[in-house]
Amino acid sequence: MPSIDDVTNTPDELSDDDATELFEEADLVQDMMGEVCPYPQVEAKKGLQQLESGDLLVQETDHVPCTENVPRAVGDDADAKVWRSGDATYRIYLRKR
Amino acid sequence: MVLSTLLVAALVGTALGAFLQKGRFCFVNAFRDFFAYKDSRVTKGVLAATLLTMVFWGIAYQFGYYQTFWTPQWGLTGLVGGFIFGIGMTYAGGCASGTLYRAGEGYLQFWLTLLCMGIGYAAFTVAFPTLDSTYFAALTVGEGVSLFTVTSIPAGLLGVGVAIVALIGYATLVGRASTTAEFGERADVAQLHLGALRAPVIGLRQFARGTATYARGLARAWRTPIAASKQPWDPRTAALGITAAAVLWFTQHSIVGVTGPEARWTGYLLSQVGVEANSFEYWGSVLFQGQGVDVTVDMVMIAFVIVGAFLAAVWSGDFAVRVPKRRRLPNAVVGGLLMGAGSRLAPGCNIGNIYSGIAELSVHSFIAAVGIVAGVYVMTHWIYREVGCAI
Repeated sequence: MPSIDDVTNTPDELSDDDATELFEEADLVQDMMGEVCPYPQVEAKKGLQQLESGDLLVQETDHVPCTENVPRAVGDDADAKVWRSGDATYRIYLRKR
Repeated sequence: MVLSTLLVAALVGTALGAFLQKGRFCFVNAFRDFFAYKDSRVTKGVLAATLLTMVFWGIAYQFGYYQTFWTPQWGLTGLVGGFIFGIGMTYAGGCASGTLYRAGEGYLQFWLTLLCMGIGYAAFTVAFPTLDSTYFAALTVGEGVSLFTVTSIPAGLLGVGVAIVALIGYATLVGRASTTAEFGERADVAQLHLGALRAPVIGLRQFARGTATYARGLARAWRTPIAASKQPWDPRTAALGITAAAVLWFTQHSIVGVTGPEARWTGYLLSQVGVEANSFEYWGSVLFQGQGVDVTVDMVMIAFVIVGAFLAAVWSGDFAVRVPKRRRLPNAVVGGLLMGAGSRLAPGCNIGNIYSGIAELSVHSFIAAVGIVAGVYVMTHWIYREVGCAI
């Protein structure tokens, strides 16, 4: 059977409040503004390698495809959630498994 | 140019730009992410668009609703130029079409990439007389041809046939992957033989299920058209839209190309600031074919791709003037130069050779597509050298 991940493209989206609250918990924040693929993917993988299980990595990005590609790239290494600000900036929350 | 021609060019360009933007239809993504971590969502979109376009172009050709094919001479130039282009587009982070739609989304980095592609075209043009007698003379093997025009099989049937073969091949791969997983490590030879026979069937069933799920999702999205239109779209939806635009373009003009018209834009813009573009052999007699350096209909179409991407990005809340990080500037400069030069050395870009070229069954494009994908593979491994690639 195909898993649900085969048919959904985007990870869960966070509400504005949740996004702000979670952001304070971040163990590592990566500034990816002005970066394009595939560098945020590579940095996310490197960032997760430094973290412990349960730690939270947040990427701030203005590159639309990253919201899908970064969670895909880290795969099973982390649970991903995304926040869209509505004015072309995004945050990707990755909690290491 | 006749007004109706201009309107078709504007319509096709705008539609292509909008579908590229909404589907994040990026050829770098399609191959790079497949090599890096086996993500095949965009790869499937690219394959779907190419195969669908092939079927409909074949039918249009068979019934005479077409203008011209684009079939450059074939040879090793496709491998060399394609490889350089593939390296360039992976380093730049956007292919020929990706650079255009991201320019429309407001990425200053990709405007710089476009500028450097222009420099690449201009440098190639200056070197063309020498390259023509050395590089092209040495590496060209034969006249270019589209398989649609040389077989006795009706073109429409040939298109459908190739698409079915590709689908069964794809299904076999998918099916084999899932049966291997099912049997696990204890699989013996007999089981694997059985698996090989069952693989296409299992794969086709999965394909049918996936397509049905996709169709249901599309139907659900139609219930809230405005909200859904602002969300990112499935690359397969973009594939359908791109196919429709490309079929219209094929009946009215030719195949869809990007870097050819861009190289013409470079000649035209330089001629506007006093450069005698017409006196250069490559612009004068090759690209503008002795018609004089002026705006051609495919140049208009390409310009509207940026407009379409801009409109779609504004509508979706994805437009912003994005300033690149300084450490990303080499990607735009070097990537742009390599794409500009590589696309002329092949000739053709990812759109001309992978999408359009395979869809029109051009022998040259089969070779160039291999070159481009090889370039992406090598560059992806270099970029991912610290974290490793899946394939």
